[in-house]
Formats: sequence, structure tokens, C-alpha cells
Amino acid sequence: MTRAQLPDDLEALESQSIYILREAFARVEKPAMLWSIGKDSTALLWMVRKAFLGEVPFPLVLLDTGMEFAEVYAFRDRLVREWGLTVVNEACPPESSVDQSLPPAARHAARKSAGLRALLERERYGAVILGIRRDEQAIRAKERIFSPRNSDGSWDPQRQPPELWDYYSTEVPDGAHVRVHPLLHWTERDIWRYTQAEEIPFVPLYLARNGQRYRTLGESNITFPIRSDADTIEKIVAELAATHEPERAGRAMDGESEDAFERLRAGGYM
Amino acid sequence: MKQLRIVMVGDVDAGKSTILGRLLVDLGQVTPAKLAELESTSAKRGVAIEYSFLLDAFQLERDQAITLDLSRIWVRLPQRDLVFVDAPGHRELIRNLLSGASEVDAAIMVVAADEGITAQTRKQALFLHWFGFSEITVAINKLDLASDPKRAYETRRAEVEAFLAELGIQARAIVPVAARSGDGIVKAGPLTAWWNGPALLDALTGIPSRVPDPTAELRFVVQDVYRRDGKRFIAGRLDSGTMHVGQRIVFWPLQTSAEVTSIVNWPAQLDAARAGQSVAIELNSRIFVDRGAVASAVGHGPELGRALQATVVWLGATPASEGDSLRLRLGTREIPVTLQKIEHVVDHETLEPRPAETIGAGEVGVVAFVARESIAADAGFEASSLGRFVLMRDGAVVAGGRVDAVIGRAKGEGATNVIAMHSSVTAEERARRNGHRGGVFWLTGLPSAGKSTIAMAVQRMLFERGRHVYVLDGDTLRTGLNIDLGFSEEDRAENVRRTAAVAGVFADAGFAVITALISPNAQDREAARAAYPDGFFEIYISCDLSTAERRDVKGHYKRARAGEMVNFTGVSAPYDIPENPELVVDTVTHDIAESAAALLAFIEERILV
Ligand SMILES: Nc1nc2c(ncn2[C@@H]2O[C@H](COP(=O)(O)OP(=O)(O)O)[C@@H](O)[C@H]2O)c(=O)[nH]1
Ligand SMILES: [Mg+2]
Repeated sequence: MTRAQLPDDLEALESQSIYILREAFARVEKPAMLWSIGKDSTALLWMVRKAFLGEVPFPLVLLDTGMEFAEVYAFRDRLVREWGLTVVNEACPPESSVDQSLPPAARHAARKSAGLRALLERERYGAVILGIRRDEQAIRAKERIFSPRNSDGSWDPQRQPPELWDYYSTEVPDGAHVRVHPLLHWTERDIWRYTQAEEIPFVPLYLARNGQRYRTLGESNITFPIRSDADTIEKIVAELAATHEPERAGRAMDGESEDAFERLRAGGYM
Repeated sequence: MKQLRIVMVGDVDAGKSTILGRLLVDLGQVTPAKLAELESTSAKRGVAIEYSFLLDAFQLERDQAITLDLSRIWVRLPQRDLVFVDAPGHRELIRNLLSGASEVDAAIMVVAADEGITAQTRKQALFLHWFGFSEITVAINKLDLASDPKRAYETRRAEVEAFLAELGIQARAIVPVAARSGDGIVKAGPLTAWWNGPALLDALTGIPSRVPDPTAELRFVVQDVYRRDGKRFIAGRLDSGTMHVGQRIVFWPLQTSAEVTSIVNWPAQLDAARAGQSVAIELNSRIFVDRGAVASAVGHGPELGRALQATVVWLGATPASEGDSLRLRLGTREIPVTLQKIEHVVDHETLEPRPAETIGAGEVGVVAFVARESIAADAGFEASSLGRFVLMRDGAVVAGGRVDAVIGRAKGEGATNVIAMHSSVTAEERARRNGHRGGVFWLTGLPSAGKSTIAMAVQRMLFERGRHVYVLDGDTLRTGLNIDLGFSEEDRAENVRRTAAVAGVFADAGFAVITALISPNAQDREAARAAYPDGFFEIYISCDLSTAERRDVKGHYKRARAGEMVNFTGVSAPYDIPENPELVVDTVTHDIAESAAALLAFIEERILV
């Protein structure tokens, strides 16, 4: 089983992500990974299998609002079968249970944070591994690779620990957890180039059909496609090299108010 | 092509975030929608368009117009991506600045023309120097505030040059800019029309990205050991050098060696690993390897010692004092250390060493640590990843450090000049008084191979010669210390661990300790080595099963064959024959006296000073 060697830059990115995953597994008790089934966390899941020699040594959780695209659920079922995965489908609480002062789409997105909080309270995971990237969003650009959360799941960006070289902070107080972000240093374009080079499967909604494609996949009711003719990965990579439109422009909750995303994240959103 | 990562340093308000915001806008990498949003968030706060808001995304940052935490932005250029790490200039936020500086290839220092080099700028430059940046790029900003931009630039330029020369840092370029209006950022503007040099962006071309060094010494840092289908894989990263299948490597600090039989980047099998690559490897022997170990090429190991001299940047809220107990993280190893001595603190005003009792937050100090265990390290940031570390207290990172020297003993030597600084009596002193050193002589072999008999005979002989000697016999210990243990694999491992720990203490006290335990598991035995790594010797008391069974001193083989005893080594439990024992004593071809004499000679040679 030999594939063409990865380009140097992708190999360096992959190696760092694998290093981070192995650190999380070795240093933190009871980690779990969130798999949103999108391109990033699927590429991450691919690297988990590489890091742990074909196994996924921790639970794989889907925070399910029941509102994902049908194609997303179908893709999940396919990978579960092909990769022999065990997925925990965690049903998220209804919108009525979240902070009602948030703008409408953000309120919807907050269901995921509420679902995550319930899951953590029940399972007491010491670490939650997530496929977010710094280039996605200005607030995420400020994240640490290992990012401790308070016991209520909230993020205190004013007091992030130092993160020198590869020495990550994994110590958290009882009942709190640490978010682990192995893809923080990747860009959207890196992910697609990697997906192509490693032949990683992905949800077909990312490819253009009738002049439209999804650049990110959130819940079907708050995510919108962009205009695009990119019906192959090559074309996506070329499109990304040319565009300056932000990746998450199709996510309704980000632009509702200036502080919407910051408030979501402070409240434990991914 | 690999991205270039650049950290922005400079005092608060020097214009770091503005330069980056402007860079994005002038390169057309901000959409009209985003620009409009920027205008409205700026207007909301009663300011003209504030480019820094592109970076300063937190509400608090915008309201107070400062950067609180690191941010990163990607600037796409035709040749490569630039990733800028925007760091806060604030005095209290040094931990963020340092975190940023530890992840980059290059640095830009921003100096405001109206302020010049401030105390905070000096301090930050000192950190850059500490991190090993020998070259930086400088931007003299806010030239719009000067009545004569050219003269203002020249004055500041002279100041910057003098200061950097003091530190021994080269300025790659010192570029005049006015960030708010964009002059000199991507291209010259009215305020910098007189300038013949490059714009800030152009000054960055040609800066190389740091890449793991394939020509440096092989350092494979072990993160974990995984078992798959009965095989053992050692997972880690090759931080520097290259490693290939068939190569013999040495694991530190135990100094055990084995040959690499496979290198896996799952599912692919590689012939060789490249510097920087995360892989998993298999070995040709079952030597003990665990997280925390680091492998090197034979004869090219790191330094090994019980003490480190280091330069640290202190980040903890509570200052560091002599005698502090801390945890050292170096590579994947984590061990308790004591801050033994503060040599001095570097004064960031004069850059001169100054004697100090404590090292406060944000200060750079030169210190010595001692550890109870041997530390494998390399001196300097350049040599390998084993030259940098962090210190932890109560689970939090309180300092970053650079190894300046490993003290305790030279490369690869025996236990000669170990400085046991944790004790008021050194190993040296004990050895001088006793006339010999301590050591652990670990006998292993099948039941009835002759371990106890030989151990007792040699103990008598050593005692007669005036040596401090003691036998730890497996059966005897099981009547006391190990009374709660049975013969399951876990219990046997624990039996070995406890016995090793006790043996280590005796050896530390100056005794020649002879242990007589079956200790059937090779990994358990290898782990035992760590209890006294400076003088641990594995001795195989060799006897084939049928001979041992014929001897059957205690009648155990018979009972085991009859099924009355379970987990009996040689019959119903495995015995790993030592692969590289320091001594083999064959009790089939030698009688007790001959075997004892061989062991006696071996021990005497090891302990006599
Ligand atoms: N007059 C003038 N003001 C500037 C210039 N560059 C930045 N500023 C202002 O200086 C203040 C601090 O800038 P900022 O980028 O936040 O500084 P930082 O703390 O170094 O990131 C802001 O109000 C900027 O608008 C410049 O070239 N000229
Ligand atoms: Mg700033």
C-alpha cells in the first residue's frame, strides 16, 4: 500500500497533527472526538487512524440536532461501515433550552453547545478533540491547540495558558475538560489538498451542482450554498486560491451581530 | 511551498495589528462586505476605520483598542503563504508573546516613530534573542506624526541599530512605514517616497522557513507504545536527523539499544523516516521502551546527567526561588526537579547580569536544576528539540527554558562523577568511605536454576571481603513486602517493581544488592533498570528446563505438572530469556563454586572504585 509521497508542507502539517493527537491520548484521561462529518473532522478522523495504526482509540461523537443534510447522514453510515467505526449519536436538546438572548441562528447553533455540555456532564470526558482551524474565523484564530475549559464548559480567552513549542497544557481541574485542536494550523486549502492527496472520502455536497456548492456544512436550516462551478477537488483548490470570501459566509449565525460568534464560543460552542 | 510564520512584536500601540490589517486590505484580501463591516464596527466606537479590528476580534479588544491574545492571519502570496502571529505588547501578556514567538520562523519588530524604543520593546527584543532569533525585520511606524518623516526615521533607525547590536541581533531591514495610511506596507506612499529600500512586504521575501534538520543528530521522541495484533509499535516523532530500517538506535536515558525493523506511517511501510515525521517503529528486541524515552544513533546520544544549567523565562505569577520543587517537561519526559540555584537575572534595561534571590514574571534568569533521575538533554535551541523545556507548578506552565549545559557526567560514561545533590551525603562520599560503590545485580532465571543458592554464596564471599552487600530474595520478600501479590502477570510486574525500588534504595545507600527473583518478563526487568540506572546489571542464571525440573528443589515443578500450581514459570507461564544480559552464569556446565566465583568477580569489578 504505497501512495505517492505527500508534498513537504502537507507532510509537516500531518505530522504535527498526529503528534498532537498522540499527546492528547497519552496525557489526558478519557478523551473523545467530535465528528461533524464535514471535510475537516473527516480529514482529522483519517489522521486519527494514521496516528493509532488503524484504530480510533476513543469515542467518536456526533452532536446531532436532527437537522443535518440527508447526504451527511448517508455519508456517516457509509464511513461507519467502511472504516468499522463506532459512533455515539448524541441528540441535542431543543432550541427552547438555550440562551434566548442570542440572535435566532446563533440560538439554533447553541443547541450543539448544549448537547456537548450534557454529554460532558454525563460522560466526564477529560478532553474533546475537535477539527477547528484558525483561518476559519477571527475568534478561532485566537485559540490554543490545547485549550482548557472551565467546569461549566465556558472558555476564558483572557486567561489562556502559555503554549510553548510542543508543550501543551493538559491539566484541568476536576469536572473541567480541555479542548484539543489538532487542525488549528491548517487552512481550508490545505485540507482539500490533503483530502485529494490521501484520497479521503467526503460528503458530495461540497462539489458544485447546478452552479452551487456548500463550502461548509452546518445544519441544513442555517447553512447556505455558495455560487461555484467547482465540481472536482482540483477546482475547489483553484477556487480557494482566488477567492477572498470568508469560508463561513454561508453560516447564518456568524454575521447576525458583531459579537455573536464570540458569545457562542464563550458559551462552549466549537 | 511551506508557509513562513512571522511574529509581530513591539510595545502596545506601536501599530502591529494595524500593519497587519492594512496588509490584508492593501493586498485585496478583504472582501467589500468585510470592509463595510469594519467601517461600521469602527464607527460604532467613534473611530475612523480601524484596521486592527480585523485581528482584534474580541469585544474587549475592540472596546479598549488593544490586543489581548495572539491572533493569526494568513496572507496569500503567489510564492507562499505568510502566517502572521499578532502578539499583544502588554507587559502582563508576556506568556502570549512567548507562545507566539515559539511557533514562528521570523519576527517583525514595530517601533512607533513618536515613542522610539521603550522599556517594553527592549524586553521583547531580549526574548527574541533568548529564542535564538539572530535576525529580525524592523518597521518604524507612524511617520505621519513626524514633521519630517525622513529625519524621524533616521533618528529611530540609529537608535534601533545601536540597540540590536548590543543584543547581537542583525536587522535584516529597517523599513519606514505609516500603517494607518498604508505607506511603505505593500508599496511606498507619499510619506515614504524618499525611501529607496523595500516596502515591509518586500523585505520579507527570501526569509527561509524553519524546517526540521535532516543533517542534525537523530532524535526520535517516544510518545507512546501501542500493541496491535501481538506486535509492539513505538510511536513518536523524529524531531531531527533521519532514521532507516535496519539502523541500530539507542534509547535514553536507559541506554538500551535495538535495531529498527519497520517504520510505519499507517498504512504505509517506509524505508526511512524524515526529520519532522510522526511515525511508529518496531524493534528487533523486546527492550523496555516507554513514553519519555528518546532515541539516538549509536555513539551520537544526548548528554546525560542529574543536573541542568539553563536560561529560563519565568511566567508564573509567584516568582521562582531557590529550593522550589517543579516539574520539568523535556521532550515527552516529565520529572520532578529542584531549582537549586539562581545564578543571576538578566536586567532588561542594561542587558547585564544582576544577582537575584528570585525570578519574577517576565524576567530572564540563569539557573541550575537537579533531578532525582538522569535527564537526557542537548544544550541549546539549535542542537535538537531536547534543548528546550517548560517547567510546571501545580499543573500549570510557569516557565520556558533553554538547556545551556548538562551537568553530572559526561556522555556515555559509567556512574563515575554523579553529583547526588539531593542528598546531604553524596554517592562519591559513601563510595570513598566504603571503598566501593553500590549497584544492583539482578539475577533472573527459571525456578531451580540456582539464583538463590548463588546469591547467598556470593553474599557470604563479599561480606568476608568487607563489602556492604545484601540479598533480596524473591521468596523471602513474598512473606513480607510482597505478601499481597500472587503470580498473575500484573502481580509479577508489581513484584519486580517493588523489589527494584528497594534495591535502588540499598544501592543508593552504597550496598551491592543481589536480587534473586524469577522475574520472567523481559519488559519488567528492563523497567527495573530505571530504579538504579547508573549501576544496574542483568545477570542470567542459565539452566535448561529439563535440568531445572530434575533439580526441583521445592517440588514445585511436580505440583505444577500435576495441575496443583497455576502460572508456574516454565510449565504454565512464559519465561523471556534475556537478550542482552550483562552476564550469563551457566549452572548446567558449572558447579555452584564456579558459578559463584564468576559472579563474585563480575560484581567486584563493577563496584570497586
Ligand atoms: N497616526 C498613526 N496612527 C497609527 C498608525 N498605525 C497605527 N496607528 C494607531 O495606533 C493605535 C494602536 O494601533 P494598534 O495596531 O492597535 O497597535 P498594536 O498595539 O501595536 O497592535 C491605533 O489607534 C491605530 O489606529 C500610523 O501609522 N499613524
Ligand atoms: Mg495589537
